[in-house]
Amino acid sequence: MIKTEKTLHLKSCRGRTVRVVREHYLRERVPCCSSLCQADCDHDGKVLPGDLTHYMVPDAAVVVDFLEILEFRELQGVVFTQTACQALQSKGRRYYNRLRSLVKDPRHDCVLFANEFQEYSYCPREKGESQDKWMTRCVYSAAVWYYNHLAGMMNIVMITEDQEAVAQYSSLNSGVFVISIQDYLQNFWPELQAAHELYSSISQVLQEQEGEDSQKEFAEHLPAEVLEAGIKSGRYIQGTLNVSKHRVQNEAFITTEGLSTKNTDMSSDVLVFGGKHRNRAVHGDVVVVELLPKSEWRGRTTSLTQGQGDEKNEDDESSAMPTGRVVGILQRNWRDYVVTFPTRDGTQNQSRNSQRILAIPWDRRIPKIRISTQQAEALQDHRVVVRMDSWESTSLYPNGHSVRVLGRAGELETEVQTILIENCIHVPPFSDAQLREMPLNSPEKPWKVDPVQVRRRRDLRATHLVFSIDPHGCEDVDDTLSVRRLGDGTLLELGVHIADVTHFVPEGSLTDLEARTRATTYYLADRRYDMLPAVLSSDLCSLLGGVDSVMWELDAQTLAVNKVWFGRTLIRSSYQLHYELAQALLNGEPAHVPELAQVASEDKDAKLAELTHALEMLTHIARHLRAQRDRGGALELEGVEVRAQLDEDRNITALVPRQPLEVHETVAECMIYANHWVARKIQESFPSQALLRRHPPPRQELFSQLVETAKAQGFSVDTRTNKALADSLDQAVDLQDPLVNRLLRMMATQAMSQAMYFSTGAQPQDQYYHYGLALDRYTHFTSPIRRYADIIVHRLLIAAIAMDTGAEPKAPGSNKEVEETAHHINSKNRAAQRAQNLSMALFQCLYFKEKDPQTDPRCVADAVIYAVRDNGVLVFIPEYGVKGPVYLRNKEGQVVSVGPDGGCDWQSGSVRRHHDRISTESASGSATFRLFDHITVTDQEPASRRPGGHSGGGRGQLVQEVVQEAVRLVQEAQQREARPRLSKEEREFSQSRTPNLYSLLEEVRELA
Amino acid sequence: MAGLELLSDQGYRLDGRKATELRKVQARMGVFAQADGSAYLEQGNTKALAVVYGPHEMRGSRSRTLHDRALINCQYSMATFSTAERKRRPHGDRKSTEMSLHLKQTFEAAVMTQLYPRSQIDIYVKILQSDGGNYSTCVNAATLAVIDAGIPMRDYVCACTVGFVDETPLADLCYAEESGGVSSLALALLPRGGQIALLQMDARLHQDHLETLIEAAMTACKGVSKVLDEVVRQHLQEVSVLTGE
Repeated sequence: MIKTEKTLHLKSCRGRTVRVVREHYLRERVPCCSSLCQADCDHDGKVLPGDLTHYMVPDAAVVVDFLEILEFRELQGVVFTQTACQALQSKGRRYYNRLRSLVKDPRHDCVLFANEFQEYSYCPREKGESQDKWMTRCVYSAAVWYYNHLAGMMNIVMITEDQEAVAQYSSLNSGVFVISIQDYLQNFWPELQAAHELYSSISQVLQEQEGEDSQKEFAEHLPAEVLEAGIKSGRYIQGTLNVSKHRVQNEAFITTEGLSTKNTDMSSDVLVFGGKHRNRAVHGDVVVVELLPKSEWRGRTTSLTQGQGDEKNEDDESSAMPTGRVVGILQRNWRDYVVTFPTRDGTQNQSRNSQRILAIPWDRRIPKIRISTQQAEALQDHRVVVRMDSWESTSLYPNGHSVRVLGRAGELETEVQTILIENCIHVPPFSDAQLREMPLNSPEKPWKVDPVQVRRRRDLRATHLVFSIDPHGCEDVDDTLSVRRLGDGTLLELGVHIADVTHFVPEGSLTDLEARTRATTYYLADRRYDMLPAVLSSDLCSLLGGVDSVMWELDAQTLAVNKVWFGRTLIRSSYQLHYELAQALLNGEPAHVPELAQVASEDKDAKLAELTHALEMLTHIARHLRAQRDRGGALELEGVEVRAQLDEDRNITALVPRQPLEVHETVAECMIYANHWVARKIQESFPSQALLRRHPPPRQELFSQLVETAKAQGFSVDTRTNKALADSLDQAVDLQDPLVNRLLRMMATQAMSQAMYFSTGAQPQDQYYHYGLALDRYTHFTSPIRRYADIIVHRLLIAAIAMDTGAEPKAPGSNKEVEETAHHINSKNRAAQRAQNLSMALFQCLYFKEKDPQTDPRCVADAVIYAVRDNGVLVFIPEYGVKGPVYLRNKEGQVVSVGPDGGCDWQSGSVRRHHDRISTESASGSATFRLFDHITVTDQEPASRRPGGHSGGGRGQLVQEVVQEAVRLVQEAQQREARPRLSKEEREFSQSRTPNLYSLLEEVRELA
Repeated sequence: MAGLELLSDQGYRLDGRKATELRKVQARMGVFAQADGSAYLEQGNTKALAVVYGPHEMRGSRSRTLHDRALINCQYSMATFSTAERKRRPHGDRKSTEMSLHLKQTFEAAVMTQLYPRSQIDIYVKILQSDGGNYSTCVNAATLAVIDAGIPMRDYVCACTVGFVDETPLADLCYAEESGGVSSLALALLPRGGQIALLQMDARLHQDHLETLIEAAMTACKGVSKVLDEVVRQHLQEVSVLTGE
């Protein structure tokens, strides 16, 4: 069966060198994964096509250093050897996982060949042979084996960076070529410009890695075993590093995962203060911290930072919290970063090597990245994608290399790309292979329901009045409703019909894989990136053909559920309504229903009455359902939602807040109900591998701001349960100022934890609860076109239905797989959310950019104070849905004073902060700002004001700063009527606050 | 956490085996003339020597005498040179005592002790080189030694360890796999009747997986029994040629 052979390994463990003998089994048959194979190897999974000119076998060193180049989808026929794979594994788990997913991904044309287990391609290491030489020899012998195995029908190209190997091997075999990467790229892929650039960028980095100076800037990280032992014994704490957005230089927090620390009082975050203690950790890394002695603990800073001045005073700190320092990094979570290059005058003189540049990341929480490039000048005001390579303890900044250029900063397209990359959203256009899987639907050949399917599904086309209600102009209609009276009228039948996307997207198909990676449709302010190809999302699945249905029979009087039915059906949507139209119908207003335009008037009236009646019934049921959930403690939450109205050129014409209608709620309620019942069904059928959605109760301490703010206004908010919170929020209404309630609800929303998907096997049953909706089980079922979670739920539901009819229980995935998918979807959802917010902010920013704050009345707005800080207040501008800081003390130490007419100007004075108010005192009097006071502010887009390229910050902030853009502001304190305007202050935004290179340089110059 | 990937995506383990494949088993019976029965068995890089004395009358404390069957006395030890770093104490530590006890239980279930009342059977096993699966190697070696001694048994006792990685059972773990944080299970089987002589596991495992794991262990044990059977037949042939029968 197997031949056995033994290899000797010398291995050191715990300092001592130990000799370890391991077995090594070789076999004759190792699948070659090529369609040209003559010896019929049993391939399962990917197979390399036979119509290529050559197969490429990269050397171990090439895989380790140039994996990024091999990741190009254009490179076809790549054979990774096991030797290379193991070399990569020793470099780090992260790289290895990347290779693994590369090999698994059917869109990449590459396979893994286990050369070390193949009898004839394996070569034992010889005495005195260096590791690198041995690996190169292994890879070469694998390449030769491939050539012979395929009977010489395919040429093999081995690429290596080792020039000796090229010389040694290139002439040994006729069909096996050994060349360097550069030659390879030039000869075979001359048109793949991106790969060439990447190659030169990486090789430059590699060359420079050798000549490092040895001055230590940071403490060394501890070895992994020490860290692991330390975490187990409780000496160290493991967590994710979160850099504070407002104090990038100094403050970072470690968020510990609940399970990793046993003692509960440590569940709060750990502060890491200063760059030395942060010890080369980057935002998002999983790090290990050691707590400092209690005497060195500090609190978080509470004042608003304006510039670089007021960082040093330590009075404005809250009570001390656990403080620690990073002793090691368990996992780097480096991704692609978008950076801009600094302008020439500042930093470049200082760097010893003029080719190396400190690039400034778009995300302020990321330190500057040192990269080598010759294009710095050409790319002055472009945004560039870079990757970090390493961060040695001898260096103040991490090293990286550039990957590609996005475009000129400030342009819409560049900025949108930036948002996508910063959130790790990758949306290439759908490939031909994926589109080929789609059913045909063209005007000449319209898609028809398969007759086989018709027999298998319940046909509702004739019996039910089905309609959909969606936003105006919505293309991806995936949910419809139906309601009717049954028989003698004592029973109602409510149906929710959801597009059967799974019928078109079989599990494991290319479309499915793509949808899985995208996980959701990304909605940006001006565009959207679909999860599924357009044929499906806006055409077929939009409820033409088969659907999955949930139907309830309800008692007409009490509305108690009599019977629930899940199944696949066929429907025909009679009306495609939009919210405003449906509301108009309900209100009895005259409305124009497009589907009835051609119908004769008598018919029309009858049909209209029928439709209106159905809508009324629906509203009735929805109200009842809502009341039912309210009794359970469902929360009504408020988010800031503003829609940007765009004209044809994608310029913003206005920012419009969303208008809620009752119909919105009716539809939402039906969907929630459907989701809930589906969740119950799949959880019962698959107790340990159903995908549900839970919303954990929020942490009580997060409510403190809400409670205190409410107290200032005279309301008491009870946050113990969701019911109590909902009730007290309902009561906290200021009759004069409806904004108060809205703001309080917004704060409550902020305190909430995020709802997330999970697999039922991974959580105890009492954790299934959905806090916000007050339901014991919940999932997402109703939007399979735009959410991947719903597709999984559909598959689960179909399997559950099949089980009811006596089929074998066959779950679409094990608990572990479902949980992994859930994690993936959760993170993608968060990314989508962030991208959406950022793009919204981008458009808000663009909106204000063109307005002159002095003259344009639209830049002056009413704002409400919702939080007080040491040197200013945070305000909310309801008109635009923008939040921002307002400083009451500027950098020169002057404070705002309010004149008798309500106007303000800067004078020297002092600021005092009290519990719920802040007051300024100056020569001309004092002014007090309380919570919920209304003030008038002007908005200003910072980028237009900033002196061009003044600081290293460059163009990094266009998008970020919009949130805090209330730069020059005018405010009016107690007098709400008079709103004169006041002082102005110019503020520079710079990426890094304290000693950035520019300021250091300035100091030096002044001294000289 | 630990860096090693025990089962690759292609289905290979660290040493190139597939999930269900056993390590190479090589064995010889009758290696010593002085003892009543002896055997040497290699299972991959784990090498064990087993020696059987008896049945003979009780030695040492007579009070332990059993009146209806023979007493089985087992001793397990590891050579000081059996591991990568020299071992200080070859036997008598807690692990060895436990192992001795397990062996004893295993063989009490397999040897037909009621044929030899008031007597004693001694089984001594020594691990010469250890590379995972010490218990199963010992059981397999001792089985051959008992057969060599001519003591009647109900069946071969075959043992094998099984680990559970990525929802897949791995048969016959080597040391690198055992120390890689796999929850492993050792099983001794009387293959013909499918009776379990001993089952031992001290790792955490979800209840749902136990059955598949035991199933895999039993298949592996049956594989071992085939090899042992071959060894015994081979040995008999050699002996009968020598004695000229």
